Amino acid sequence: MKKVQFLFASLIALAIAASALAHHSPAVFDRTKEVKLVGAVKEFRWSNPHSFIELDVRNEKGETDTWAVEMNPPSYLVKAGWKSSTVKPGDMVTVVVNPLRTNEKVGKFVSITLPGGQVLADAPGPAR
Amino acid sequence: MTASVKVFLMVVSLIALAPSALAQAVAPAPMGALTPANLAKQRPKAPFDLTGTWMHDNKEGPNSWRFVPPTFKLTPQAQEHYDAGQKATKEGKVYRDDIGQCWPAGMPLIMTRVWPIAMIQLPTAIYMTSAFMNGLRIVYLDGRAHSDPDIVVPSFNGESIGRWEGSTLVVDTKYFPGHHHWMDQAGVSIPASDQLHIIERMRMINNGNVLEIEYTMTDPKSWEGEWKTTKRWNRVNEDITEAECWPDLNDHIRSTSSSSQIREGQ
Repeated sequence: MKKVQFLFASLIALAIAASALAHHSPAVFDRTKEVKLVGAVKEFRWSNPHSFIELDVRNEKGETDTWAVEMNPPSYLVKAGWKSSTVKPGDMVTVVVNPLRTNEKVGKFVSITLPGGQVLADAPGPAR
Repeated sequence: MTASVKVFLMVVSLIALAPSALAQAVAPAPMGALTPANLAKQRPKAPFDLTGTWMHDNKEGPNSWRFVPPTFKLTPQAQEHYDAGQKATKEGKVYRDDIGQCWPAGMPLIMTRVWPIAMIQLPTAIYMTSAFMNGLRIVYLDGRAHSDPDIVVPSFNGESIGRWEGSTLVVDTKYFPGHHHWMDQAGVSIPASDQLHIIERMRMINNGNVLEIEYTMTDPKSWEGEWKTTKRWNRVNEDITEAECWPDLNDHIRSTSSSSQIREGQ
């Protein structure tokens, strides 16, 4: 046994601090990076403990990648102006995410630009 | 049916019923917390009533939901998990995020998730339901003792027995499963064993609008000595909703199945 003292790097601490909201740890997302995705909504689910968007995005090879965009629960999204009808399959949208550190096509939702140009975030406050 | 067959069936029935009848004679079943006769028993008025919806107060900082103290001394088996968690963090991964795999958060983490907790206090028990996965916790106040360890079914929120000490409610919680249960989430990977024992001293402050709980936690299979921390909750004007880890949830929350997860056995 050895005596252990843990110190968190500030970024890691910030990332983990939000983990209590999610059912899973968001420490896997790189909060220092943002990726802009332009594509068509494949599915949007308004549910607890998470809402999510699956987004079909055309890559540089002309193929379609389906991104998983993980979101807060509806109780938070409502305060940010969301409704269950805000997006529907087929909508062309721009979504900004914090990507996984392992570079798979999964991101933590940051903001969305809807077909009409309205920008919504994940929680109350200005879209980041 | 002949008379002899009827007699035979009666004898068999009596033999089958005998053990339960004997058990009832030896140890009458205790009254349930919601049994009218138990609720109707004369008891001193409770010093406070937790009935309401409560949200953990995170004004103390972004890490105020955590229960692990700044310094600690782990057992070798807990140290192994902790080291693996630190290694995963350095690699941009998380180690054994079992909550993310739909295992219950369990005590004490269930108390400080950023989700409200609905509490209903009766003379015999306090029923707590966290909006996080609808985690149920029951604190018995009817004077019962902890269950027989050979009979109790371990659970992630444990068995909680409360008693009043003046204006403080002292709650003793034990009987945890000892697997897929952690004292923190991601990074500070310290397991909660079946020996985890939590004492909470609950008091109401600020005219009944703030609940303060002082925690004293021991777990000889995971760390040495006592861990202590104090948390606060505010009354909030909201309802909880149903939140389940549906079987297909993690199919869509794909970070939970990505290569960023160090899962059990990896």
